[in-house]
Amino acid sequence: MRSGKLSLVFILCVIFAAAVFSEAFAAKDGFEELRKNAAEIKTIQAAFIQTKSMKILAKPLISEGLFYFAVPYSFRWEYKKPLRSVVINHQGETKRYIFSGGKMVEDTSGGVQAMKIVLGEITSWMSGKFDQNPSFRAALKEKGEFTQIIMTPTAKNMEGMIEKIVITLSSKDKAVKTVNIIESASAQTRIDFKNTLINKPLPESIFQDVE
Amino acid sequence: MKLAPLIILLFFLAGCQTLPVIKEPATPEKSNLACPFPFLREPATLIHAIEVHMAGGAKSAIIGITSVNTATRELSCAIMTAEGMVLFEARERAGMLEVSRALPPFDAPAFAQNMINDIKLIFSPPEGNPQKAGFLPTDETICRWRDQNSAIIDVLQDGKDKVEIKRYSACGKLKRRIKFSGQAGNHYQNIELHARELVNYTLLMKLIEVQPGNKQEKATHR
Repeated sequence: MRSGKLSLVFILCVIFAAAVFSEAFAAKDGFEELRKNAAEIKTIQAAFIQTKSMKILAKPLISEGLFYFAVPYSFRWEYKKPLRSVVINHQGETKRYIFSGGKMVEDTSGGVQAMKIVLGEITSWMSGKFDQNPSFRAALKEKGEFTQIIMTPTAKNMEGMIEKIVITLSSKDKAVKTVNIIESASAQTRIDFKNTLINKPLPESIFQDVE
Repeated sequence: MKLAPLIILLFFLAGCQTLPVIKEPATPEKSNLACPFPFLREPATLIHAIEVHMAGGAKSAIIGITSVNTATRELSCAIMTAEGMVLFEARERAGMLEVSRALPPFDAPAFAQNMINDIKLIFSPPEGNPQKAGFLPTDETICRWRDQNSAIIDVLQDGKDKVEIKRYSACGKLKRRIKFSGQAGNHYQNIELHARELVNYTLLMKLIEVQPGNKQEKATHR
């Protein structure tokens, strides 16, 4: 499970790092500007729709959920359907919860502990180092009304798992629109964000309680 | 010293168990006895939310995707996290198993074959004709097959919708028990698989979605 969880955290990092910096994004100034303005972001919340495409599927599998982030390192990824699950990182602890027996219970398979190993990576993303993380090579690209950040993995443990991650920002309001994780020519995970709110106060319980 | 082989033989025999006794009906009834058939009749892709309960109490949840064509006996499967990360992907065609992705802990050598065997047990009818067909003392209809590895497969059904599959080792030790419970004849709505191995495990599978199998797609599936 370790590699799977590691990669998952990488993906989470990329996604909420992208979200953190989106509002402050100024393409012409590149990554330096992203780093500079990131400090203004205190919280983020958004809904998302995840579309999973694979060759085995005749049509994509759709998942829905909510995402929360608060400086410095707290996050919550909550999948509402089709499989209820929550990943929370708060005060140096990462936990995953699953829906079992009519309630949310902690995933005790042990794999989640591997997430702690990569919290150093999260720190790197949070400090705006899009282009300085040795695990990914980042590039900016303007595409009409959208701006893209293209993350290409360089770390060995990403080989065969992720080809690249494409983060699409609206050039107009600089909000993250989509994150597309391309695993192979026939498999990808696209996450579309909506109803994004920046710096709206979040109760700490968001990162503590699971119903 | 001559007692040693006898002791070993007794040890193994002690591990064997007696299979449930099947009461075979009289000949006229036998010709009318329909074996329970909880298996797929058409190519289909099924997506299940799966709770994994391991011995010792560890719990996890994954999404399982299974694509089966019982006519060609081809199948594909994938395991992924709720977050969409594919942890395992494999396919069996013409008896050849191809694993295209296997991340820990799904990279153990025996995992892929065991998983394919479990999928076949759930979704594909046993090959050939049953060796025995009849009723259990508890009145359930039962059909019994013996597969090419001499394992015994029982498929049984009560008077209602309760259908079970049991697989025993060659000497009658219960290895798998699969319970189907669904609505309106959809056996795949809820599936419980109990496995007895060195490390026992239980899978609780809840159907998310069924997609029609594409025969053309299956033929070219990587």
